Amino acid sequence: MSTPGIVVSSGIAFGHARILKQHDNDLDYRLLPIDEIPSEQAKLKDAIHQLVQHLNVGLGKLEPDSEHYLLIEADIMFLEDEELIKQLLNTIEAQQFAACVAVERVFAQQVNLLKAMEDPYLANRAQDVHCLSNRLISAIHGSISHDLENLTKPTILLANDLTPAEFALLPLENIVGIVLKTGGLTSHTAILARSAGIPALLSCEFDNVIQNNQALALDALSGQLHISPIESELKALKKLKADDLAHKQKLQKFKKLPAQTLDNQQIQLMANVGSLSDFTHLSEVGADGVGLFRTEFMLMNVSTMPTEDVQYGLYCDAVQLLNGKTLTIRTLDIGADKELPCLSLPSEDNPALGVRGTRYFLQHPHLLKTQLKAVLRAANHGSIRLMFPMINQVEELDQLFNLISECQQELDNEERGFGELSYGIVVETPAAVMNLASMLPRLQFVSIGTNDLTQYAMAADRTNPRLTKLFPSLSPAILTLIKMTLDESKKHNIPVSVCGELASNPNVAPILIGMGIAELSVNVNSLLELKAALSKHDLSTYQRWGVEALKLQRIEALNHYVSHCS
Amino acid sequence: MYEKSVTITAKHGIHTRPAALLVKEAKTYDCDVLVECNGKQASAKSLFKLQTLGLYHGITVKVFAEGPQAEQAVEKVSELLITLS
Repeated sequence: MSTPGIVVSSGIAFGHARILKQHDNDLDYRLLPIDEIPSEQAKLKDAIHQLVQHLNVGLGKLEPDSEHYLLIEADIMFLEDEELIKQLLNTIEAQQFAACVAVERVFAQQVNLLKAMEDPYLANRAQDVHCLSNRLISAIHGSISHDLENLTKPTILLANDLTPAEFALLPLENIVGIVLKTGGLTSHTAILARSAGIPALLSCEFDNVIQNNQALALDALSGQLHISPIESELKALKKLKADDLAHKQKLQKFKKLPAQTLDNQQIQLMANVGSLSDFTHLSEVGADGVGLFRTEFMLMNVSTMPTEDVQYGLYCDAVQLLNGKTLTIRTLDIGADKELPCLSLPSEDNPALGVRGTRYFLQHPHLLKTQLKAVLRAANHGSIRLMFPMINQVEELDQLFNLISECQQELDNEERGFGELSYGIVVETPAAVMNLASMLPRLQFVSIGTNDLTQYAMAADRTNPRLTKLFPSLSPAILTLIKMTLDESKKHNIPVSVCGELASNPNVAPILIGMGIAELSVNVNSLLELKAALSKHDLSTYQRWGVEALKLQRIEALNHYVSHCS
Repeated sequence: MYEKSVTITAKHGIHTRPAALLVKEAKTYDCDVLVECNGKQASAKSLFKLQTLGLYHGITVKVFAEGPQAEQAVEKVSELLITLS
């Protein structure tokens, strides 16, 4: 049996469950007799004093310039804040509340104020304040620490949430994994778990399915928590763990290296990302940014379309995790071949040739506008490129840019901030290649999706196993289409990237670079291997290969050539 | 009274860490230093209050103080508001 979660720190861990209890359920809401007010106020001051002392002890164990030092200092500063203490003491006196009820009320007000913040980064801090409130309530109840000091065996810690301070005070020598019910990719605990290298899952629902001391296997590669795993599961996970460790060790030396040729020509090497967990793996490989963010993952397992604010939060998280590097968002690319309960698409005889990608959303503009507005708002916080899938004609761009203007106008009216985007299309039909001359003046970049471009150029269903051998991803036709795209884009001074499978192939990538592709966007798992492949020869060699490859007229000869030249 | 208006340039605004640094600095002055933004005021010495102002990227805030070292305090807090991120 297993339960899913979002990977925020990757790896695999085995251990016994230890669930951290919360004390926020046993508050006494009765009015305080007047004569008990002073003692209750003293109890509060005492609890604050003890908690601050406890945090100071923790602080003493840390380097003053370490990541969490200042966050704990901020917790202390918060607890010692005169305005806060004044308000707490007043609440006890004026409302006749017990100390812990006063804490709950005053902190809840603060949490609500923070949650309402326009900037999701600031709004995220509400979680930290909420944690601190629980911690202070526990302190009033007389339990300062979580009593984890006597752990002796490998333990997987399960909690509702952890403050940075709580995290820093964990006896990490016996804690091999962390599972939290709440939290997001950019929460402080996620950042700390990543930097400590402890596998961690967030947004994982474990209530009623896990008891203390139960054996657990935490798979923070695919995002599953296995409960009382059976022997065969354990065996498979142990192998995965060994492979993962070996993989990480091997990659270590490439991680910090830039993507470049032997003669130090820089290559933009970006990552394709299809889930929030992928962003976590991204930091392990040193990508130059995200060249393709498939936003469809938002629609899996939900019954309604995510709202503008939900999407905005996701894109802001992504921007923040990329830390100044470019994020390329592809608008929702869906069609009748994907089962999506939130959209209930009508079935079609030929879904691959049907109402899919941008076609669907031009027929349902309100859905597209929700996404456009969320992206525009997120662009206020970092550099974002936006690209549209399944575009053939300049008329489609006309409609899109009209919708974008409408969105900007509406955001203006709502007094919401938004930023500038770069616009591009996914070149994935032969018609798009032929129509580039009319479309490029409206765009800042194009990205070639080689999988669909092959399928549409060859009229060969890419899911049909009887055809994939005959029509492989590398063929003279696809190279010619890429060349045509490059030639036309050069006239308009527009950079061309490749985000399809072809770019992830270490034999083909050097040839694409040699042909003049400015940027490759590849699977996270292939990224380091590509760095290694691209660093073997000079750019001029790749250029020569590019010229030679374009001369080859047969699929077999071409595939033979590329597998032998590197 | 001494006052100054500055615009926040930090990409994510003045979030927990910069706010904590700012409070720490403000506390070294004897005078009260106030920050005004979105029609709300808060003491620069209170993280609890400062946090709720909404010190976003791109927003303009007024810093003011009265009393001993008012000018230095306002200059220092303004400088931090501009440079911290």
